[in-house]
This record gives sequence, structure tokens and C-alpha cells, in this order.
Amino acid sequence: MKRYVLRRVALAIPTLFLVSVIVFAMMRLMPGDVATRMVEGHAYAPTLAALRKDLGLDRPVHVQYAEWIGGIVLRGDFGNSYWTRQPILDEFVRRFPVTLELAALTILVSVVIGIFVGIVSAVRQDTASDYVGRILAILALSVPYFGLAVLVVVLPSIYFKWTPVWTYVPLTRDPLENLKIMTVPALVFGVTRAGPIMRIMRSSLLDVLRQEYIRTAWSKGLSERTIVLRHALKNAMIPVVSLIGLQTPLYIGGSVIIEAIFRLPGVGLFFFEALNKLDYPVVQSVNLIIAAMVVGLNLLIDLSYAFLDPRIRYR
Amino acid sequence: MRFWTRASDIDSHRAALPTSSVGAAVAVAVPRPPRTRPWYADVWIQMLRRKPLGTIGGVIVVVMLGAAVLADIIVPYGFAQTSLSERFIAMNGAHWLGTDQLGRDLLTRLVYGARISLYVGFGAVLLGCVLATAIGVLSAYFSGPFDLWLQRGVDAWMAFPPLLLLMSIMSLLGPSVWNITTVLGVAFGIQNSRIIRGVALSIKEYTYVEGARALGSGHLRITVGHILPNVLPTIIVVATTGLSTVILTEASLSFLGLGVPPPYPTWGGMLSLAGLDHMYQAPWLAIWPAVALSMAVFGFNMLGDALRDLLDPRLKGG
Repeated sequence: MKRYVLRRVALAIPTLFLVSVIVFAMMRLMPGDVATRMVEGHAYAPTLAALRKDLGLDRPVHVQYAEWIGGIVLRGDFGNSYWTRQPILDEFVRRFPVTLELAALTILVSVVIGIFVGIVSAVRQDTASDYVGRILAILALSVPYFGLAVLVVVLPSIYFKWTPVWTYVPLTRDPLENLKIMTVPALVFGVTRAGPIMRIMRSSLLDVLRQEYIRTAWSKGLSERTIVLRHALKNAMIPVVSLIGLQTPLYIGGSVIIEAIFRLPGVGLFFFEALNKLDYPVVQSVNLIIAAMVVGLNLLIDLSYAFLDPRIRYR
Repeated sequence: MRFWTRASDIDSHRAALPTSSVGAAVAVAVPRPPRTRPWYADVWIQMLRRKPLGTIGGVIVVVMLGAAVLADIIVPYGFAQTSLSERFIAMNGAHWLGTDQLGRDLLTRLVYGARISLYVGFGAVLLGCVLATAIGVLSAYFSGPFDLWLQRGVDAWMAFPPLLLLMSIMSLLGPSVWNITTVLGVAFGIQNSRIIRGVALSIKEYTYVEGARALGSGHLRITVGHILPNVLPTIIVVATTGLSTVILTEASLSFLGLGVPPPYPTWGGMLSLAGLDHMYQAPWLAIWPAVALSMAVFGFNMLGDALRDLLDPRLKGG
């Protein structure tokens, strides 16, 4: 097990290096000049050349890359925003709890709905409840979450005169008020993400229920409840867990849009605002941090497979 | 064309899959000699017989295609034609789905929106499939360090949340139809090269490839003449299941103002936050684009799923 863990960790390092190269090259090789934008917006420096020198943009690209990556690896310094001159990591850490809470609630909503409907669908295969479940899954797959979010913001205010003010309150200050604000975005996002989970839960549980050891369990006279929940579910969960892992990047990418619609001051909104201002250091560092998180998470998922299914360790 | 016939001539398990399953089904019902219909015609007949949802999806896709191609003929207004005396009309005989804040006809804009969605969707998927096939087949064929490094690059690309990466690129390039098609195509290609590579790796091991090599065929002849035709069903599956994702991604980028720029109507752009204030006055401005987008995604999803089941059941559940 220890050797397996070490090998998996070693494989993640070249990936992270390439991630940083892709992010950096993308930001520097593409058209779009932050200095021009800044001089147009505010008179930070007398001339373009002076501003470029001030930001360090006049130096060769590889020097800039080395400085950026060196700061991260050696000092844990992710650089400063061009516009506010504030450290990026501080802002990221301040805003991350919002995004994390949104993601956690979203995953909770989608997993609870997805697993419940998936189990019912599989156990009652080809009955009315199965068809309802499958139709729900197809609907959830088809409705775009931002469309649903816009409808949820707009329609109740017209037809029910329900216009909540979306001002964010931190969880630590007032947990109840915070949950009230986070519930709607998490529900909207979670419901649309439940579709794939329902489908994979259903098909994976159906596969497992056809296996020999389930027949043995039936012939021992166990109740359906025990067979499904105790014997079948753990094995059927493996593809579901891997799907949730695969979908995590989608949760993070989608949270940019959800945060923009519901005005939640999370990392997504930070990223989106930086994008509009062509704030290179913010965009590249946020991209890098999130990609690193995704790589880390995938690693954890792989390791959890090895834990769930010992055969994997010896491959 | 030559590759298609050859794919069904030789004893290729992949291309022959749908045909042989039809042969079996028919043999049970009526004892008749096996059909000689080409596999790509059989797929559609099987779809009509066994996949009702896929057929509904197909109908939606055909309607959407028709709307996109015939947009200039079927709607009486221009997509940017404003009429300030007719702002915020809910629904009437002249404007079936109402008008927006500038008096533009909503139905007209939805129909032209289908054109943009399909234009970007098909363009990106076409580009993506060419790229995915090139990366996948080459990576599988020339294994070794070339494959290893290329795949680490693909790993690194796939570590990003797709929307974050696409947003970064689009904000640097600036919104335009051309840019978004190219960027979505490249992203689609890199992501799906994995699947193509997997299939190409298994095809490479077949004896007919070894036989071709023994006969002295060059790299080009083996990859293009022997591997490519047998990867083709998988490419079709990847393309049809991917279309809904690409259309949805284009809509999300346009929603954020990073996709197709204003005068062109897009479903994502029509839903976008910029028009939120008007939607409180005229909810149909939010409802119909959302419905159109959901219908399109539903149609392509169902069609893609059905085609995947018929063409390549091994990819199921992905």
C-alpha cells in the first residue's frame, strides 16, 4: 500500500509542472495587454513603458515564469494582483470558504437526490417509479443550471412577489442567515448535477444486483433492505464515487456562474472579476491552485479505490 | 468512401457490430439470410425500432437543423430588427413569443440562435474530432516516450476545470464566433483524444495490422488505411454525445459575455445577466431561451446516447 501511494504521488508532480507551464504560456502568448487596459482605466504610471517596467512585464518570459513558480515553491507566495497590489493568496483564502460551502452543499444535494432516486429506480426496475426516476434524470441532464438559476431569480419575484436580497453573510457570523442564502444556489446547482449520478447509480446497482453473491444473500433469506443497503450498495458505489470525483472540476467551473448570478463573494467571482480586468497574476494563480486541488483530489480518489478494492494495489 | 466499404468488408469486429446484432435479431424473428444493408443505414433503422427516446431526440435535432438552415425563409423579421413602438409585447399574432426591450421579435432571435448554436457546435465538434483522432491514433501508434509525454500534457490539460480554462482563453482572445469555435474545438479534441487512443490501442493489436506491417505497409498506410476506418464508429459516438456538451458550454460562455458577441442572438447571451433587469418586466425573455436550450441539449443527449448504444456499447455509462 505504501509503495502504491508513493508511486501515485510521484506521478502527480510532472502533471502539476505541465499545468503551471500551460497556465503561464496561455497568459503570456495570447493577445490582450493588461498594461494598456490599466493605463486606459487609471493613470497608474506616466507611460506604458514605465508601467510595464513596474509590473515586471519588460523582462524575458522565462525569467517571469521562474520568478512566479519560484515564489510559489520556495516562499508560498502566489504574487500580487496588478490592480489592487494585494497578495493573491490572502484574497483566495478569504474567499475560499464561500466556494467550498457552495460546492459541499451542491454535492450534498446532488448526491442525496441522485443516490436515492438511483436506488429506487434500480430496485423497482421497469415499474412506474423507475420511469419517473429516469425521466427526472433526463430532465436534470437537459436543463442548463444557469438557465434554471435565472428563472429561479426572476420568476418568483414576478409571480409571488418574493424578492430576497442576495447579500452574503459569513457562516461564522450568522449560520442560519448564511444557510438561507446558500440554500437556493446549492439547490439549483445540485438538482441539475444530480442527473448523471442518478443514471450511474441505477446502472451500477443493477449490475451488482445480478451477481452471484446477491443471489446467495437472497437464498439465505435476508430482507431486501439488508441486501440492497448492506450487500449491494458498497460495491455499486465505486463508479458513483469516481463520477463525483470526475465532476468536481465541473462544480468549480460552474460555481463561477452561480456565484455571479447570486452575488456570492467566492473564489469564482474573484476569478471572474480578475478576468474582466486581465489581471494575469490572479488568473494564473487561481487557475493553478484549483488545478492542483483537482489533481490532489483525483489522487485521493485513486487511493480510496485502492482502499475499497485491494486488487488495485497490486497492479 | 473507400475506407467505409473496406471497414465492412474485412472481418472487423467493431464496424460489423451493429450489422451482426441486427442479423441475430432478424434471424430469431424470421428465418431469412443475413442482411447485406450497410451498417450506417442499419443504425437508423435500429434506432426507430428500439430507441424511442433516441428517435424523439433525432426529431428535435432535425427540427433545429431545419430552423437553422431555413431561418431566413421561415421568420418574417431580422434578428437585429428593432421596433421601439413594440417593446415588451407578451404574445400576439405578429410576435408569437413576444418581443424584448428593443422590440426585437423573440421567436426570430431564437431561430437565429439555433443557427449560431449549431454553427459553433458542429464547427467545434468537427475540429475537435479531427484533433482527437490525430492525437489519439498517433499517440497509440507511436507508443513509447512520444505517447508518454503527449499523455502527460493531456493529463495536465484535463486537470483544469474546463469552464475556467475556456473562460481564461476567451477573455484573452476576445469574444467572436470564430474564436469560440476554435477554442471549443481544441478543448473538445484534447479531452476526447483519450477515448480514441484507447480504441486505437486495442485495434493496433489485431493480427490484420500485424499482417499489413508484415506486407511492408508504411506508417501512413497502416494508420490511415487500417486503424482509422475501425476507429470511425467511436469517432461518431464521441461527436454525437459531445455535441450537447459543446452547445451547453458555448451557451455558458455567451451567458458570461465571453462567447458570441452581441448583435448575433445566442441562447446563452439572451439569458445573460446583462438582460436581467428586463426579465423582471418580461419573464418570457428568460423562459423561452432556457426552454430552447434545454430542448436542444435534450435532443442531442438522447440521440447521442442511442447512437452510442447502437454503435459502441462498450462506451456505455461514461
